Amino acid sequence: MLKNAAITLSAIALLAGSILATPIAQAATTHHSTPKPIVLKVLYMNQAGYTTQVLRQMAAGFHQEYPNVTVQFTFLPYGNMHSAILTSAAAPNAQYDVVLSDLIWTGEFAQRGYTIPLNSYIDADIKNPGQIPGAVWDGFKIGGRIMAMPFLANFQNFYYNKKLLAEAGFKSGPTTMAQWLHQMEVLKAKKIVQYPYEDSWTQAEGLVCDYVRTAGEFGNGNLFNAQGKPVMNQGPALQALEWMHMLYAKGLANPNSLTADEPTAANAFASGQAAFNTNWTFVTGIMNDKSESKIVGDGVVATFPVAPGTNPMTHSASISGFQGLAIPANTPAAMRPWAWKWIQFATSPKVQAQHLHSQWPVWSTVASSAAEKRLNPSWKVYEENLNAVYNRPAVANYLQVSSIIQQYVHEAIAGTLSVKQAANDMVQQIEALN
Amino acid sequence: MSVPATPQSGFPSRKAPLRRRVFLALTGEYFWFYALLLPSILVLIGVILIPMVFAFQMSLGNTNIVVIGGKGSIESQWVGLQNYLSLLASPLFWQAFRETVYFWFVSIVIEVTVGIGLAVLMNQNFVGRKVFRLIVFIPWAIPTVVNSMLWGMIFDGDNYGALNDLLLRLHLISTQIVWLNPMPVLSQVPWLSNMLGYLGANTAMNAIIVGDEWKTLPIVAVLVLAGLQTIPHEYYEAARVEGASAWTQFRRVTLPLLGPILTVVLILRTMQLLRAFTMIFNLEQFGLPLLSIQAYQQAFSFGSFGSGSAISFLIGIIALLIAFVYIKQLYKEEM
Repeated sequence: MLKNAAITLSAIALLAGSILATPIAQAATTHHSTPKPIVLKVLYMNQAGYTTQVLRQMAAGFHQEYPNVTVQFTFLPYGNMHSAILTSAAAPNAQYDVVLSDLIWTGEFAQRGYTIPLNSYIDADIKNPGQIPGAVWDGFKIGGRIMAMPFLANFQNFYYNKKLLAEAGFKSGPTTMAQWLHQMEVLKAKKIVQYPYEDSWTQAEGLVCDYVRTAGEFGNGNLFNAQGKPVMNQGPALQALEWMHMLYAKGLANPNSLTADEPTAANAFASGQAAFNTNWTFVTGIMNDKSESKIVGDGVVATFPVAPGTNPMTHSASISGFQGLAIPANTPAAMRPWAWKWIQFATSPKVQAQHLHSQWPVWSTVASSAAEKRLNPSWKVYEENLNAVYNRPAVANYLQVSSIIQQYVHEAIAGTLSVKQAANDMVQQIEALN
Repeated sequence: MSVPATPQSGFPSRKAPLRRRVFLALTGEYFWFYALLLPSILVLIGVILIPMVFAFQMSLGNTNIVVIGGKGSIESQWVGLQNYLSLLASPLFWQAFRETVYFWFVSIVIEVTVGIGLAVLMNQNFVGRKVFRLIVFIPWAIPTVVNSMLWGMIFDGDNYGALNDLLLRLHLISTQIVWLNPMPVLSQVPWLSNMLGYLGANTAMNAIIVGDEWKTLPIVAVLVLAGLQTIPHEYYEAARVEGASAWTQFRRVTLPLLGPILTVVLILRTMQLLRAFTMIFNLEQFGLPLLSIQAYQQAFSFGSFGSGSAISFLIGIIALLIAFVYIKQLYKEEM
């Protein structure tokens, strides 16, 4: 009886042992032969910068280099990116292993610890960081910590329609604010266009960009002084508000600008409705694309007109819209090396050089390459505008500050508040945040 | 007369001791009643009650997302009613409140008047009535996001916006109007314009109300039509015999008997209007800061989940108060 029980128990133990041992043995064998498959989750936008198609091509290249790693994208409109990163940060493990991070979130993410500093990775693996312009690095640096690796060198250019300007009797675009105003007035007076200029002044982040850039054109695009105080009610920032309101009130800017975003303003320019547009680099592609543009060959990329005596080094004033790749702080430790490998790959000069048609590269060596010069005859203007960028305020509560700026700049342009009152209210509200 | 707590009815009276009620529920003839309800109750607890309690708890704290030791979580420091008090002291909250009330009030007035009118029309006998009903119902079938884009194109501020184009062709306007820009209305009469502006009226708000009503009026009309069809014809015949005019019949017969269905429609629409988000956000982003938009902005843009939750609860309280008034005014006549 006992003997039978012992035999039965031994058989059961052997069976259980063999069942348990098989996968362990298989896993061990697999570990030595092929690496474990890894899915890297990446959050990117489907609005601007590199297209989703280009991103997929990059992912295919990465998969070739690391066959065990598959990059899985989530593409969202820009406006949904911040909240997606925020809600992902609330989960024990991040929903995304790598996220596209706008430079305006750098302060918030660093202060709240939502993404990790990349200094150690960059120090170890990026051999020539000096080949990325300092202005681009600055967008992602806070207190010496680099919160994202530069990926998109987005900034604004000044665009004009040379055919419309020629009809008005001008041989070239404006270089000063006074010239620009004069050209707009003549274009309107001669009824060449109903509204010479269209911009993206809907109550969104694009409005802050246009405001900062315009303040820059008047000499200083920094909306906060060295002591961290808001200065929208004085100097160039106030002049910028007056200028924007004046263009609207005189009918030089299309009133639709008040509800237009960047693509809407770009389309108005590409359709020949507007003679001037100040917009991100994507407009260059649109205005030269026969399927989207009625002004192919007439659109010119230029440096921004500036007030005389200002911006002596750059003779232009643009706005940065740089975006980088970052690793969320709750990305599991095991995934972080792979997350960095993807960032290193996607931001590398080699990969960026393969997609010059899609985006201006962050690497100056690639930007000044023969291939870029061949593809983009305006590369010199691009460089000049990139060197003339102003950054939006680098404050931890930037989105709250931006929301106040948007509201009052919009009211000042539309005239629902006087420029002076809007500027004072804006400063007062921002100061009340702290 | 109270229902006795006896096994005869099988349903335990509320006066019976709890233990006995539980025992009867588990063993009596209503066992399956409770057993079959249980999954739904658990789902309701899981997706409504627990999140609601959690959101309320967040509204009483300084609630932030934190990542500690590589793990993300939500951290809340108890601040009592501070979030609510800060909101009530904020001019921006009251501006959003007035805009929300304006949006709700104007929409409800349109729905009650035009909705009932449409329903009465659809209740008449005329050739093509079925086709008319079908056409009226089509906008309801359009997804809200698509409806937003549709009205965005109609109200486009450029010359090629459908409405501007039509008005320019008819020479009713001489230059384009930027309908979706929140500009004062009736600016020719400054005092009226200022007053309406204070109450939340502006061009963008009115444009969005039109777009939203175009989509939602059909469901109001169809629900009211269902109510109309439950009113016996004999009531109208009796009224006619008494010499009642069409208006008197409507006022004395139709409206009172529509009370219950109108209560349901008004409560349903009030809740929807107070939390309306999609169309407003799609067309205006944060440019028209109604309470629902503010709640989203506080929570998901600024990361202030405590403040965002507090606004959501205030929206809920406002909806409850309005619903209470509806029930008191409309439903009591049928009780």
